[in-house]
Amino acid sequence: MILAVLFANSEGNILVERFNGVPAEERLHWRSFLVKLGADNLRGVKNEELLVACHKSVYIVYTVLGDVSIYVVGKDEYDELALSEVIFVITSAVKDVCGKPPTERLFLDKYGKICLCLDEIVWKGYLENTEKERIKRMIRLKPPTEF
Amino acid sequence: MADSSGTTLMDLITADPSTVSASTSSTTSSSASTQSAPPYAASPPPPRGSPGLPSALGKPAVEKRSKRAALMQIQNDTISAAKAALNPVRTNIIMPQKHKQKQKKPVSYAQLARSIHELAASSDQKSSQKQLVNHVFPKLAVYNSVDPSVAPSLLMLDQQCEDRSVLRYVYYYLARILSDTGAQGVTTGGGIPTPNWDALADIDAIGGVTRADVVPRIVNQLTTEASNADVEFHARRLQALKALTYAPSTNSEILSKLYEIVFGILDKVADGSQKRKKGVFGTKGGDKEFIIRSNLQYAALSALRRLPLDPGNPAFLYRAVQGVSFADPVAVRHALEILSELATKDPYAVAMGLGKHAEPGGALQDVLHLHDVLARVSLARLCYTISRARALDERPGIRSQFNSVLYQLLLDPSERVCFEAILCILGKHDSAERTDDRAAGWYRLTREILRLPEAPSVKDSSKDKAQKTRRPQPLIKLVMRRLESSFRSFSRPVLHAASRVVQEMGKSRAAAFALGIQDIDESVHVNTFSETLDSREIDSSEASHPESIRKTSSLSTGVGGKDTIASLLASLMEVVRTTVACECVYVRAMVIKALIWMQSPHDSFDQLESIIASELSDPAWPATLLNDILLTLHARFKATPDMAVTLLEIARIFATKVPGKIDADVLQLLWKTCLVGAGPDGKHTALEAVTIVLDLPPPQPGSMLGLASVDRVSACDPKSALALQRLVQAAVWFLGENANYAASEYAWESATPPGTALMMLDADKMVAAASSRNPTLAGALTRLQRCAFSGSWEVRIIAAQALTTMAIRSGEPFRLQIYEFLHTLAQGGVQSQFSEMHPSNGEDQGASGTGLGVLISPMIEVLDEMYRAQDDLIKEMRNHDNANKEWTDEELKKLYETHERLLDLVSLFCYVPRAKYLPLGPISAKLIDIYRSRHNISASTGFERSSCCHWNF
Repeated sequence: MILAVLFANSEGNILVERFNGVPAEERLHWRSFLVKLGADNLRGVKNEELLVACHKSVYIVYTVLGDVSIYVVGKDEYDELALSEVIFVITSAVKDVCGKPPTERLFLDKYGKICLCLDEIVWKGYLENTEKERIKRMIRLKPPTEF
Repeated sequence: MADSSGTTLMDLITADPSTVSASTSSTTSSSASTQSAPPYAASPPPPRGSPGLPSALGKPAVEKRSKRAALMQIQNDTISAAKAALNPVRTNIIMPQKHKQKQKKPVSYAQLARSIHELAASSDQKSSQKQLVNHVFPKLAVYNSVDPSVAPSLLMLDQQCEDRSVLRYVYYYLARILSDTGAQGVTTGGGIPTPNWDALADIDAIGGVTRADVVPRIVNQLTTEASNADVEFHARRLQALKALTYAPSTNSEILSKLYEIVFGILDKVADGSQKRKKGVFGTKGGDKEFIIRSNLQYAALSALRRLPLDPGNPAFLYRAVQGVSFADPVAVRHALEILSELATKDPYAVAMGLGKHAEPGGALQDVLHLHDVLARVSLARLCYTISRARALDERPGIRSQFNSVLYQLLLDPSERVCFEAILCILGKHDSAERTDDRAAGWYRLTREILRLPEAPSVKDSSKDKAQKTRRPQPLIKLVMRRLESSFRSFSRPVLHAASRVVQEMGKSRAAAFALGIQDIDESVHVNTFSETLDSREIDSSEASHPESIRKTSSLSTGVGGKDTIASLLASLMEVVRTTVACECVYVRAMVIKALIWMQSPHDSFDQLESIIASELSDPAWPATLLNDILLTLHARFKATPDMAVTLLEIARIFATKVPGKIDADVLQLLWKTCLVGAGPDGKHTALEAVTIVLDLPPPQPGSMLGLASVDRVSACDPKSALALQRLVQAAVWFLGENANYAASEYAWESATPPGTALMMLDADKMVAAASSRNPTLAGALTRLQRCAFSGSWEVRIIAAQALTTMAIRSGEPFRLQIYEFLHTLAQGGVQSQFSEMHPSNGEDQGASGTGLGVLISPMIEVLDEMYRAQDDLIKEMRNHDNANKEWTDEELKKLYETHERLLDLVSLFCYVPRAKYLPLGPISAKLIDIYRSRHNISASTGFERSSCCHWNF
């Protein structure tokens, strides 16, 4: 299960968050835990370099893309390596939508599209589409494979 | 949602005026970025329009600005904001273009919602579509739910609008309305918290539209669309089906509708040839019908994956099996995921269902080359479940087919897949793990051989290369090589995962040793196994694959050096150890856990000890991770009780190096399990290992004045000093509570009373006699005595209590020894001289000199009473003997009452077994028994009765 996907800006403001199967009262805890994790470790990290953490049997993989930091939290089959796959799909989609690693402004300008991409990538806690082109088609309401 | 400066996400997104105006003209990134917008962060615009305007987000935003608000606060604010927004005064800010350049305020939820209504009803489709796609819909995404009153407009758009981008958003929002369970903020998405719309609707604020009103309409519309077989509609059909899956699965009506749709689609498209036609995806415009079918297969299986698994429904298995050979890779992944879940429930049915797919050249073999990592992960799990299923004991052929696929996944280019295969081979289960599975897993990993089947497709091309990679290899060698290369990776997730795999190897290895699996010798050459296995298998299966086997054995003897499992492990562990240099503390923690698990009881643990000691000096370690490692020590001990002392030594490093970060409870748990689990031979050493903590000089108040010695460096700051002191207290308490157990010395079990001669000895000789009689208890006594004198105030109190416990539980001469000591302590004893030499630490030492007098006196009293009663009893017995008189019932009753009273008293200080404990000494046993049997008091009812008295008292 992919428990959470979070995007935050460099100041720790959360830009996008999607939780699956996380009780409402635990979300605040996760939010602050992740933001702190990023604040402690993401300084000076290269774009898309993957960082890892774990808490009991829950895994966290996170990275930086432009001005935005991205966190993915998962458990069970979504271990640190599966989450690396997930985050790779997400970063590729965001780069694709924004045309480059986004500044915060650019990210916010493309906010709607990014939400749609995320909707095609993570569906009810499971990874869905992984191919950039396919995601691009589906957020424009085109079929996954064109004829 | 609010940071220190208090900007909300909506502030951020609407902050830049230039992009707001740009959004109507163009959405391309180029135009937006060429506007040379001032960075929003430099000037997050305050809501200037607030005065006079009931701005929805204005007021809460101002409040937020003061400080980072808690989520609850935000939610309350939003509820009031939403209420305020229900009577919008302002005109729509989206329509009048000219005003917008001046207005820089955040858009409220209500404004967005109203825009949707207006734009949906607008006659100018083109311009309203643009606004929806570029402005309204993206901003609405910021909120964590959408209120049901928007649904009618969304449905109107769904039916009338033709713009694909608008429709895509419509499906997105319909899904969000469906998924909202009604509880506040409990949608799948986060975002700016929104109120509980239904609650608001109930108080008739929103116009009374609740989810209950709109959900049936949404479901109906989506159901119709998801069932629409029109070819031109099929992209929408997929999205409609997807949106439908967001309906809560608790609604059985919707659920059965969904099953109907999904299986209905599969009935139409799943049967028939699934063979991929070469070039279908490579060239443009392939077989249109085939592609549409494949898209529908994908959509149906994706939806099915999100529905509750119904093992009783044969259609699930049937369609999932078909799905394995679908053309769409994501569909194949979902099919395998469903199958691997079904297999855990009914492996036999799944194996039978897959049938030919599992054979060489079958569809499962194709999945090995499928470009979807998670599909291959599911394949590994599926193969593992089936190849180990007891239900298939009668069908070894089928099991070995799946096993062969599992072993082939060890060669997978993706680490995720290869590691999953290793974990499966090792016998790791997510739940309910069994030691014998683990042990068998280690045996498999170290003994078995990977043999690739002859796949018909590889025959034609590049035969030499194929042969080279296809030579049979011991699993252990493959795994070691793979892990070693993973440990050279720069990716932290890879390092973390590789360490985790090594940890799991350690668990299986420990299980194998614990079960004493034969043939576990690690000094045997790896290739020897392969040879013996080969020859054995040639006998058994010569008929089936003579060719491949012959090639196999010759190759396996030809290559490979003198590797033993031990040497392979040693070289792996060398690489693992170097990984401890990783910058990431989580990776380091996993490495340490792996090292702890791979440590075997007979190896020297100096290296591990020094690694841990130097790691703990790094202040970057978070407390949770350290406690996690302590729990690993605990689990490691449970797997191998022989390691008690080693593990306690390691635990001691934690106690001394990072006392402030570890949980005393976790440490005590470890001590206790190690002590209990160490067995009769190890108990003494285990207790010693715990009490080493006490040998550290406890932090004295003086140490804060700069007198800290080198020993105490790790506890030099006041917080750690305090924590160390707490650990010492815990250790002292532990010692008092468990010394008798460790020493096997119980007053009620020492059969013979101590000789009078012994009692007559002077104190020094008594101590010598005691320690020769039971060195464990004597050692514990000495430690506690030292703590009672020279520890901190709290430690001294606990030490005195611990000594009393020991006095009550131990037989002589220990009880007397402690009794004497307590007297000395109460009177000041050595401490009074001691305190003269040291400046007062400000504590009230009390008249007694140790400050313990008041505390100790009840403890001494209980011992006094016991000794007095014993003396009386001896006297009485002598009188009776001399006068040659029997004991009268009255006398016995009195004696028994004294016995019970003393038992009650003693029980106030520590636990003793009431049925066995004799406060009047072993000599009283006979008389107490006589009284009990005369009056039909069983020892246990005596206990009950007196405990009642005790509580009533």
